[in-house]
Formats: sequence, C-alpha cells, structure tokens
Amino acid sequence: MNEELMDIVCCPVDKAELELSVESRDDGEIVAGSLTCTECGTVYPIEDGIPNLLPPDMRETSA
Amino acid sequence: MRDLADRRGIETEIYEAAEDSHLLLEAARSEIEAKDLVLEVGTGSGYVASEIRDETGATVIGSDVNPHACRRARDLGIQTVCADLVAPFQDGVFDAVLFNPPYLPRVEMAARDDWVEDALTGGEAGREVIEPFIETVGRVLASGGAVYLVVSTLTGPEAVESQARSAGFEVQAVREASFPFEKLLVLELTPKRS
Repeated sequence: MNEELMDIVCCPVDKAELELSVESRDDGEIVAGSLTCTECGTVYPIEDGIPNLLPPDMRETSA
Repeated sequence: MRDLADRRGIETEIYEAAEDSHLLLEAARSEIEAKDLVLEVGTGSGYVASEIRDETGATVIGSDVNPHACRRARDLGIQTVCADLVAPFQDGVFDAVLFNPPYLPRVEMAARDDWVEDALTGGEAGREVIEPFIETVGRVLASGGAVYLVVSTLTGPEAVESQARSAGFEVQAVREASFPFEKLLVLELTPKRS
C-alpha cells in the first residue's frame, strides 16, 4: 500500500485514526506491516501490500 | 459444489467483468475528472477501477471483501483495501463511489458456496448488500460527490430507489441496458441539498 492511503482510511469499527507500523517496503510501497487503531487498539495486518481492514468478526471467513 | 465448478472450468474465486461492469464504466467515466478521488466498492477483478484510472486520470482505490479479488486488482496496479463496503474509510473523502453489487436473488438449487456466489447473490430479494451500502455510503462522499450503483430489474429497482431517497439522496437512472431476462440500470445517487 501507498503511504498516502493513511489520509483516507480509519478503523472500520469506531472510525478512529490508525497508526502505521512498517515491516517492509518495496520501491516506497508498504508490503508488510500493520495498522493499529488509536482508540480501540485493534490491529489490522498489511500483507502483500494489501491492508486487511475487515472488522475482526469478518476476518475469519476470508481465508 | 467446488468440484463440479472445477471440472467445468468455472471461475470460483473472482467475478469476471461482464455486461454490468461495462455499463458501470460507461456511466462513470463521463462524470469523473482527473482531480477526483474515486472508490470502487467490490472491485472484483479490478477491471472497472483500472479502466476508470486509465481513461480519466483519476486516483482510484479498490475495496473488496474477497482477498483473492484484492490481490488481482492490486496486480492491475490498483491501490486495494480488503474491506466491508465503505467501513474503513474516513468521512467526506471520495468524489465518486462506484459499486456493481451482488444483486441476484439467491436460488437455493444453484447455490455454489464459493466467492463467486458471494459476488453474484444478494440474499432472498437480492438487496442484502445494497441496503447496508446505501445506509453507509453518504458518510464517505465529499461535497459534490456522487454514487454510481448497478441494479437489475430482478432486484426491485423501485425498492432500491425509495431506500436511497429515504437515506437523503436524489436518484437518477443514468444508463440502461436490456437483456433477455432483465434490464440493468446504473443509478446516480447524489446527496440532497438541504
């Protein structure tokens, strides 16, 4: 994902701001890392450049 | 039912672009400008999102509940988010939101229980996904923004239109195409000026 995406995403549950943590980048793009809600603390993974911002209760069925 | 689908070479993971995708593309491309920020909900293969980006120069974000679709759309260079409709997007950010939703009424005998079935069927009336979309999409629209939504005569477009009006939108059918068993419409939803 592109870092500019931070300007338009939020926590799907409470709409609070997310904090970005980067594990790896490729050519400026964030390939792996996580987004953590600054309000409820839910952690959303970024894998293969795609942030998974499904609410936690919908995540299980999406494997 | 996955075996049968496999034997017949039927796609089970991602809904491929079809007539409804083209109609949505046609409706949206004349309205979108290069400076716009666009969201395509349920981007699927990413086809509509990438065409809109290439033809208009707009920035297009794709979202899908299906991780396979997210990966495919990303391969087309679309910035993709795995999401439930518009839930993880901030208020007032998008100039246009496009959605070609699952709108067919579910038929038990044809149930396949795979990702493509999820992409096609919207519950008993075909509106199970459209209804929460209409309830929530207004929040993420920028001022002057519009929603482009595909509906079918099989879905009960009158019910969709009346729900959109109660949710505070002006509704206009901007494209129509007739097929043997249904007519497809693209509805343009714009927030009513108050």
